[in-house]
Amino acid sequence: MASKSETGPSPAQGVGPLYRPDGEKPTATVSKEVSYENVHVLPQTPQLIALLTMIRDKRTSRADFIFYSNRIIRLLVEEGLNHLPVVEQSITTPVGRSYLGVKFEGKICGVSIMRAGEAMEQGLRDCCRSVRIGKILIQRDEETCMPKLFYDKLPTDIADRWVLLLDPMFATGGSATLAVETLIERGVPEHRILFLNLIASPSGVAEFAEKFPKLRVVTSFIDQGLDEKKYIIPGLGDFGDRYYSM
Amino acid sequence: MESIPPLYSLSTEVRYAPPWQDLSIIGIAGSSGSGKSSVAMEIVKSLDLPWVVILVMDSFYKTLTSEQHHKAHANEYDFDCPESIDFDVLVETLRDLKKGKKANIPIYSFSEHQRQPDTTTLYSPHVIILEGILALHDPRIVEMLDVKIFVEADMDVCLGRRVLRDVRERGRDIEGIIKQWFDFVKPSYTRFVEPQRPISDIIIPRGIENKTAIDMVVKHIQRKLQEKSDNHTEALRNLGLIAAEGKLPPNVHVLPSTPQFIGMNTILQNPETEQEDYIFYFDRLVSILIEKALDMTSYVSANVETPQGNTYLGLHPKGTVSAVVILRGGSCMETALKRSIPDCITGRVLIQTNESNDEPELHYLKLPSQIEEHATVILMDSQMSSGGAALMAVRVLIDHGVEQGSIVFVTCTAGERGLKRLTAVYPKINVIVGRIEEEGEPRWIEKRYFGC
Repeated sequence: MASKSETGPSPAQGVGPLYRPDGEKPTATVSKEVSYENVHVLPQTPQLIALLTMIRDKRTSRADFIFYSNRIIRLLVEEGLNHLPVVEQSITTPVGRSYLGVKFEGKICGVSIMRAGEAMEQGLRDCCRSVRIGKILIQRDEETCMPKLFYDKLPTDIADRWVLLLDPMFATGGSATLAVETLIERGVPEHRILFLNLIASPSGVAEFAEKFPKLRVVTSFIDQGLDEKKYIIPGLGDFGDRYYSM
Repeated sequence: MESIPPLYSLSTEVRYAPPWQDLSIIGIAGSSGSGKSSVAMEIVKSLDLPWVVILVMDSFYKTLTSEQHHKAHANEYDFDCPESIDFDVLVETLRDLKKGKKANIPIYSFSEHQRQPDTTTLYSPHVIILEGILALHDPRIVEMLDVKIFVEADMDVCLGRRVLRDVRERGRDIEGIIKQWFDFVKPSYTRFVEPQRPISDIIIPRGIENKTAIDMVVKHIQRKLQEKSDNHTEALRNLGLIAAEGKLPPNVHVLPSTPQFIGMNTILQNPETEQEDYIFYFDRLVSILIEKALDMTSYVSANVETPQGNTYLGLHPKGTVSAVVILRGGSCMETALKRSIPDCITGRVLIQTNESNDEPELHYLKLPSQIEEHATVILMDSQMSSGGAALMAVRVLIDHGVEQGSIVFVTCTAGERGLKRLTAVYPKINVIVGRIEEEGEPRWIEKRYFGC
């Protein structure tokens, strides 16, 4: 099923606020849709598309790339945090009125898949100031060509926390799968893992969603597919290179 | 031949008239040296109010040709006859101001005898005092005047004052001054200035020394201003009644009540929240509002190439996005604004609500140049209750040429009645609201954010 959508073109449509008539919405390529309940794609607003356009453009300077990707990451984090539990809380406001609100419940931590995932830490900190952040290094094993866990440093009480797993590019999902398996091994229940991602491939995200049905994926865009080298197309190049060194 | 498209009836337009749309103009005429400007200054001083402006007719002298320029230097040019004044431009300026629009006042150079390329902008005065020897000369102007004053003084006193002033302030020689007086000033007085006397409402003999007359004028203006203020407050109240019914229109976008959003709102409204946390959560919440506001701006399709050489059909923002902060509340939101647009062009307006009658008053205004060409102007205020300040701020933008549809008003919390009132008057603006608050909530967010 996944392979069918693999080569198909991405949908293009008028993008703009609902109240605006269709003729006044400029056309742009939007995210592919997937029908998995645990995959959440950010609303394809013109603003988000414009931000993605900036970071996909090879002419965008590194400073701008960092700035615009941080803005998308903040949107992802804000959406991701909405999946965390809250409890009712009633307060009296400064003007003496009562307000029935909510209180954030449960401890969280971030886990970044090195190195590109670390680029998402700034955006996470912008929304959660003192969040703990663990790291996982996964690289391709030269002999087996399979992803291999090289290093990890995670909070000791990670089993009691909600985990925001960070990786901007999701192609085949090899590293992400291994990272999730590592977390589960450390005692994190699958349903307490939120995977935050900028751009995903349709096949990768489908397999991942089926393999971990209780985990939640929050992504800003599901791209057209993968090329023969397993790079996301159209993609944005190597995220880590563009963020750290290019 | 084509069929006639369906015709819609025009909706009843709901209007908001700011106080400056109901401008009072006071004309002060009189001979040169009679003490017109001293009387004008004394009136301003006694009124002791903002937005009272003295407009001197000298600014509207016509530019001289080189021949006339020569004459002027030889004291042979008549500056005292009506032909020397550009009455058409003056009438147009006053008409614009009367309509509440902004006007550009020419700057006239006395040394070069010509209009300078620069102009001074005049906007939103409540009272203009038009002062000049021929202030009551043109019937088109007389028609617009609320009070017509003629200042009178003995001609000997006038000449004496003129000699002293021109020698001291304009560095001219006595012979030239006397020549001009007898060639032009005096004949012009009889021909043009004196005939204005009978059409004036008040004649002030002995100028500045005449306290009783000046006091009368001041009282009259004060009464007028009070009426104006009452009308404005009353109009705002009526707008509220009109807008009380019905649902919020689709151009009011209230942010969805996600758990995080409610959670942040809970922290922000909890008096026990530490100042440091308050600022952090406030900035975070406003960042979301700003990102939402940017959805309302214009975009165009654009093909870009990725580093691997693939093309992506995306969007690029179109035109400049600028912001206008309603002080003080709106300035809480600047940190978050700069997170999304670090170099955002930002203007400021200070609107304060008069506590005695709830009337919003415009105190200060500094808008970016060419604001009318910006694709989107984000207007920010942290809180909106009755909507008086927002109505006034939107009106200020429109008076400066900004299209209604380009304005996005962003506020953290607003009362429903205020929102309806604002959108009833300006149906094309977009409004982004964080949370709907109860009616009549006093302003407290800015105090909390700034800690004072």
